[in-house]
Amino acid sequence: MNNFFKKKKRWLQKSERSVEKQEQEIKKSLDYSKTHFINQKNNKTFTLTFIQTLVDDKIVNNNMLPPLIEEEIASVKEVEKRLPMSDIFVSKDKNEIENKLFHGYVMVTFDDSPEEFAFIGAAKNIGRSVTSPEIEFSVVGPKEAFIESLDQNINMIRKRLPIKELIAEEFKIGELTKTKVCLLYIDGVTNKQIINTVQQRLSEIDKDEISDSSYLTQIISDNGNSPFPQLLDSERPDRIVASLAEGKIAIVVDGSPHVLIGPTQLTEFFNSFEDYLLNWILASFIRLIRLFAVTFSIMITPIYVAVVTYHYELIPKDLLSTLIISRRVIPFPPILEALFLEVTIELLREAGARLPTKVGQTIGIVGGIVLGTASVEAGLTSNVLLIFIALSALASFTTPVYQMSNTIRILRFPFLFMAELWGLLGITIAFGFLLTHLLRLTSLGQPFMEPIFPFRVKDYKDALFRFPFNMQAKRPIFLRTEKPQRFSEEKAKKKKDIDE
Amino acid sequence: MKKYFFIPLLLFTVLLAGCINKKIIDDVNITTGIGIDKEGEQYLGSAMIPVYNPDKSIENFIFTAKGTVVRDLMFQMQQTSSQPIVGGSLDVTLFDETVAREGIPHVLDVFLRDPSVGARVHLAVVDGKAKDIFEGKYGDRGNGRYLAELIESNYKTGNLPLTNLHQFLHDYYQKGKDPVLPYLRQTRPDLVNIAGLALFKGEKVVDVLDENKLFYFKLMVDYYSEGALKIKDEHGESFIKSIHSTYNFKVKNRNPYKFSVSLEVDGMLTEHTGKSLEKGEIKRIEKQMEKQIKKECLALLERFQENKIDPVGIGHFIKTQTRNFDIKKWEESYQNASFDVDAKVKIVEVGVIE
Amino acid sequence: MQEPVHERLQISPFMAAFIVMAMQFGIGVLGFQRIVAKEAGYDAWISIIGIGLLVHFIVWIMYRICEAVDGDILTANVYVFGKAIGNTINSFFIIYFISACVAVLGGLVEVIRTWMFPNLSPLLFGSMYLILGIYIVYGGFRTVTGISFFGLVIPSYLLFSFAYAIRYGDFTNLLPILDHSPLELLKSAYSMSFTVLGFGVLLFFHPFIKNPEKSKKWVHGGIFLITLIYAILAIISFAYFPPALLNKSIWATLEMWKIVRLPIIERFEYLGIANWSLIILPNVAICLWTASRVIKHVFHLRQRKGVWFVAAICLLLILIVDSRERMDMFTSFHGKIGFGLAFVYTPLLYLAIIIAKKVKKK
Repeated sequence: MNNFFKKKKRWLQKSERSVEKQEQEIKKSLDYSKTHFINQKNNKTFTLTFIQTLVDDKIVNNNMLPPLIEEEIASVKEVEKRLPMSDIFVSKDKNEIENKLFHGYVMVTFDDSPEEFAFIGAAKNIGRSVTSPEIEFSVVGPKEAFIESLDQNINMIRKRLPIKELIAEEFKIGELTKTKVCLLYIDGVTNKQIINTVQQRLSEIDKDEISDSSYLTQIISDNGNSPFPQLLDSERPDRIVASLAEGKIAIVVDGSPHVLIGPTQLTEFFNSFEDYLLNWILASFIRLIRLFAVTFSIMITPIYVAVVTYHYELIPKDLLSTLIISRRVIPFPPILEALFLEVTIELLREAGARLPTKVGQTIGIVGGIVLGTASVEAGLTSNVLLIFIALSALASFTTPVYQMSNTIRILRFPFLFMAELWGLLGITIAFGFLLTHLLRLTSLGQPFMEPIFPFRVKDYKDALFRFPFNMQAKRPIFLRTEKPQRFSEEKAKKKKDIDE
Repeated sequence: MKKYFFIPLLLFTVLLAGCINKKIIDDVNITTGIGIDKEGEQYLGSAMIPVYNPDKSIENFIFTAKGTVVRDLMFQMQQTSSQPIVGGSLDVTLFDETVAREGIPHVLDVFLRDPSVGARVHLAVVDGKAKDIFEGKYGDRGNGRYLAELIESNYKTGNLPLTNLHQFLHDYYQKGKDPVLPYLRQTRPDLVNIAGLALFKGEKVVDVLDENKLFYFKLMVDYYSEGALKIKDEHGESFIKSIHSTYNFKVKNRNPYKFSVSLEVDGMLTEHTGKSLEKGEIKRIEKQMEKQIKKECLALLERFQENKIDPVGIGHFIKTQTRNFDIKKWEESYQNASFDVDAKVKIVEVGVIE
Repeated sequence: MQEPVHERLQISPFMAAFIVMAMQFGIGVLGFQRIVAKEAGYDAWISIIGIGLLVHFIVWIMYRICEAVDGDILTANVYVFGKAIGNTINSFFIIYFISACVAVLGGLVEVIRTWMFPNLSPLLFGSMYLILGIYIVYGGFRTVTGISFFGLVIPSYLLFSFAYAIRYGDFTNLLPILDHSPLELLKSAYSMSFTVLGFGVLLFFHPFIKNPEKSKKWVHGGIFLITLIYAILAIISFAYFPPALLNKSIWATLEMWKIVRLPIIERFEYLGIANWSLIILPNVAICLWTASRVIKHVFHLRQRKGVWFVAAICLLLILIVDSRERMDMFTSFHGKIGFGLAFVYTPLLYLAIIIAKKVKKK
């Protein structure tokens, strides 16, 4: 409420300022351009004001100036009617000037009526062209990814959902950046409560700069203090479309090639869109492998440290000889060994991320192999542990969603710490903390751990496994959509008798 | 705000943590075998530790100590060791015959009370000194493993009944049953032989069964025994390997007690020294085997009666059939019990030739 | 009767069963066999089933109590006895749940100190564990339910580990059946009741169940399952141990794990103990939650503050009850009180409610 009143005050203050004053402020920029022209037909002078760097001069020169100069146009209203351009409107509102000028509009004023302005859209669009997704690359399937332009992104989505129920609500967020943010949902399918929550949160944002959708994730998330992401982000239009069809909402941010989806669950962060493009048996198998890989990645190093430090009795005799021989020469206790290797891997990762591609790859390989082999030879680490750490690093890369893979990277360290403290018991307690934390998380008000807990058997068809499409006739329960039935189940499941 | 309070509190708790005893695997001496011998009036204890060499070979190192109480022996050994001696991965415990005949209750108490000793530890009685057995070099996985596997594989496919620590304790505490342990003998510096079965009365050894009697004993104690037996008849010798066996006790009479023991064996003929098998030959071998089993099993049961021991568990069996069982009365009546052994042999396979 | 709990904070009827099951399955499982076989010998499994049936009956009464006053037991006490006496009885529950928490956590610390880490500091381990419990309670009743669910489902694979004990067991140990007098069986059932007492927590979270009617079948099913597990476990233990040995084994279940050998794990009991700390996590969390909730109801202290107070007292008690004999005394004392509450007080309260209702109608 307070915010609302503050905004109103600022608006009131703005209207006090006259056009001249605004002009003085804008004039400080070199790309401010104000030119006078004379209409040939009726000798009236009019002024074109625009920001040069934001305006496409081809449009100004070819589409705007000729009719303005040559045709019988005497007032701003006639500009609106007679000019062959689609994006024109007339206004008397002085506050619009700053807003529109800086969005690439050209302001036309006739000198004899300086209080009326016409705004003509002529924005320059520079941006990438549509390329294939970098992070969510799939071998089969469409290879279109979002780009930074809001309009282009919405175009890609609307292309795939050509229905009137797809609503796109616009918000302008950020004092300085005035970023255009668009909320997408399918009316009649998505739960109204979720829409309301998002609308409320978006309109309450009080930040000056929003450069990317990940800023939004951090601001409007339910629990900002959790290392787990609560909104899914994707750069694939087909994934967004699939989520919208399920009953989720999508948030597109101008300037960001990542679109946010909510509400999400833990299991979705381990689903790649490619699962839907493959046969369901393969997809389920791959999903299970992914889950196993992630668990393995988090647990294996702490288990090694715990067992080698405290629980030698657990090791079967044959393995015991291998482990003891591998640890014979190492001067450090297992925890230091493990920390040393983990930190090395993190260094490799960070360094590899900063270097340009050509150099980065070589350093990665050389660093990995050389460091690894050399440290075993020097007796700083054991080869068994090196294998485990390398495998776990590899396994952590199987997470399809980048934000989640970062989370998994750090999760390992509390477990290591607890393993060093109390062995297997410590790992169990750390697991207890992790579990509780996950249970307390919500995504846009919905529990994060569904369908594992609260236990919804029906939702398992798309969480841990991926059952065939004809079994997925109902939308996920946790979304509480208004239209749970997606398509007719009987038709999909109809079977014929033998030789019929 | 409270949420932020958790993390420093956790760190605080944790940093204060006194460490719990670490047992880093290469910083401890992992005992795989313990031996208890009698030397004069004192016990001689030996602990066998595998030493892992970088070239993947395993040597055995032996700590010894003399004392009167078992725990004292351990403590003394610790005084000569640079690393803590731990017994979590213990494989075998050997007793020499003198100790075993005198009784091993205190040793058992040590095993029972210490939770770090596993239940699959193998116990055995040795002919000679346990320390001497440890000083040999058997197999390439360390002596402890060799001995443990010797006993285990002979249980799985040989004539030994199940005898690990758990089974020993189970039989020891079971009313109406007496425990048994393998009887080992070193035949070469690199080989140990299972020479028989040591029969206990309570915690003392009173008798040792010879190895050729083991098959019959196992028939009466274990199901599915896979032992092997040599049959001799006028046509030559045959070697039968048992695939499957069952035993059944029945009470025929109560005063005095009369038991009938019925044994069934399905066997496989693995060797035959006579000519090729004629039609009735298999039947004859079966009959001969049945005769042998009857005779030997009955002899064993009567031998146990004489020695007042009950390793087969007749006492336990009769307890399960009697209400308000009185162990004292049974022990008196055991002497007058009589047995009726019946055997049925079926040779199911004869190999791939006739 | 009391403000209804918001739907957002309620749990589904299926989940209610997990809370009851989690409370029943605590530290007693590790050593109940010796206690229960003292009187009835190897017929004790019959007593276990008997006490299970009685529990079903008491749970039925509990549901009736909560339905009659449209709330939980705190409301019921106030309804029948008036505010003063009612709340005095209610504050007694705080002590009961604190002692339940101490029994369970202290038992775990004892097991760890005997079997795994002899110089584990009870202060540090207890504080860490209790902090975890507080963290769970801060998440609300739904989080507590979630932990109960996982605390039962994840370690459920342990049940299969007892297959090894079956293999080495001699089931003829159980014969002859019914070799004991009914009195001995009753005494054994009495001593078993200490282990299964947790079901009483139902009286405290009844308002949190969505559609309590639907939860009845799940809760009864859960109790039946637990009784079955206890009985089967007892039978397996009886086959595995001879009576004289069982009488000596304080933690028979742990001993049974010694015989398990998997290809990559030699001594399974260490894994079992580590998992056990996950199994009793719901117990601790539920006790903390219930105790602090009663404090909130009686003394109007916010639950966020009350939990810390409860946890501190638990920690103190754990430090005091630090030896085997003290632990024994404490658990048997707690068991006796629990028995009285569950099997004597509850039916009496129900009768009192029926009478009070008739009186108030007039």
